[in-house]
Amino acid sequence: MRPVAVIGVGQSVFGKFPNKTAEELGREAVSAAIADSGIKPSDIQVAYTSRLYDVWVTGQCILKDVGIRGIEMVNVENACCGGATAFRGVWKEIADARYDVGIAIGIESMSTSPIAGKLIPPAKDDLEGQLGLTMPALFAIFARRQMEQYRTTIEDFAMVSVKNHHHGCMNPFAQYKKEFSVQDVLNSRMICDPITLLMCCPNTDGAAAVILCSYNIARRYTTKPIRVLGSSLLSGDYRFLQEDMTISPLGSLAAKKAYDMAGIGPEDLDVVELHDAFANEEMIRYEELGLCKVGEGTRFLREKSTWIGGKIPVNPSGGLLALGHPLSASGIRNIAEIVLHLRGEAGERQTPNAKVGLAHMLGGAVAGLEAGACGIHILAR
Amino acid sequence: MTEIIPIKEGIFVNDNKGARLLANKCEKCGYIFFPKATFCLNCYADHLEDVELSQKGRLYSYTTGYMPSMHFTPPYAIGYIDLPEGVRIFTPLIIDENKPFNIGMELELIIEELWQEDDKRIIGYKFKPV
Repeated sequence: MRPVAVIGVGQSVFGKFPNKTAEELGREAVSAAIADSGIKPSDIQVAYTSRLYDVWVTGQCILKDVGIRGIEMVNVENACCGGATAFRGVWKEIADARYDVGIAIGIESMSTSPIAGKLIPPAKDDLEGQLGLTMPALFAIFARRQMEQYRTTIEDFAMVSVKNHHHGCMNPFAQYKKEFSVQDVLNSRMICDPITLLMCCPNTDGAAAVILCSYNIARRYTTKPIRVLGSSLLSGDYRFLQEDMTISPLGSLAAKKAYDMAGIGPEDLDVVELHDAFANEEMIRYEELGLCKVGEGTRFLREKSTWIGGKIPVNPSGGLLALGHPLSASGIRNIAEIVLHLRGEAGERQTPNAKVGLAHMLGGAVAGLEAGACGIHILAR
Repeated sequence: MTEIIPIKEGIFVNDNKGARLLANKCEKCGYIFFPKATFCLNCYADHLEDVELSQKGRLYSYTTGYMPSMHFTPPYAIGYIDLPEGVRIFTPLIIDENKPFNIGMELELIIEELWQEDDKRIIGYKFKPV
């Protein structure tokens, strides 16, 4: 396997753009990533694009208008983990020496999708989905267990949202650049008890793109190549094997595989971006990624360890909660955020002297499985 | 005439012995599957025997939804029930103002209408506080 570097990142502004096509958002992100990398469109040899709703050959539709055509293009879907899946696809192509330069794109226009304005359901015809399971309901069910087992409070859940919105205020691409208090979060509309509106990520339109190349040619294009140290992608195991819903065997195993490949442990990380579709899941993720011990996620949050300026900033971008969550785009966008920190280019929200970062994504509800997919990438300068 | 249709065939019965959920159990490793599995998903053994699950179980966790789901209008409650056989079931819950949900409380199975569509009544399982 060859070492692989990220040499360009770009994203569109995230928000609600019902009058923009998904392809327009995609081109914004791709053009930004190409400009950032210093390569020519004709240098790109392979493209993986992820989108969930509701198209075909979405990569081709975006790329033809920026001058990229006639190369291998793959379109992938893996629910919210699609972006991480596309990134891993390009990483494998280059690591395996099939190609030297490639682009990974994630894109979603929720406003123009068939589920605009609705709660995201599980897979179609899924029995549990028919019986009323939705994404916020599932995470609310986890939240009740967190409250029972760890004495986590609804104020703790609200505090995650306060933190990530605070971070989002420092991100020019964020959908919500607004501070909220714990009271604001608790007073917002109840969605699935105890999850309130401001504990849920919004519906978002947006796109992100990342350009990768073989590490040995990366310095032709940039003085700051960012290495991909670890990559893992797993589907969930059977739910009947998961005794405790507040502990994710899927996330723990995906993290272990990524750490093992990278040859590092969680204590080596300087910055983390993770799937915070619902505020209460951040604590579950702290634990599965090994940022703290199992059962100590709430304490870790209360100690302000994961704020910008804390021991290990988590979701300095604003996360899905404030930056927004265009489903398939998020797994590319959060890798781009880590790259900015490792380059020292994250502006006001920069993690000082960040050397190693981790991007985590989770996607998909399927009856009988813990989750559809979890993808983790570890990057370093 | 209104047609009555189960949400899924072969997952419950409701006769003079009451409502029961239909599962099957691996004769080799003992895992129980609801809905029934065609082979053991745990150890891949072929032979599974039919079992009926207990009518009462304990609430593992729950939520009340305040936005419409695919078929339910708010407020509706859903959650997971741990049955004595070691099976955890996702299920709609019946809200009883006098018996607020608590993790660990006892609930019992009932079979009733879940929703109506066109001229059909879709029936399925729910759990209600004892």
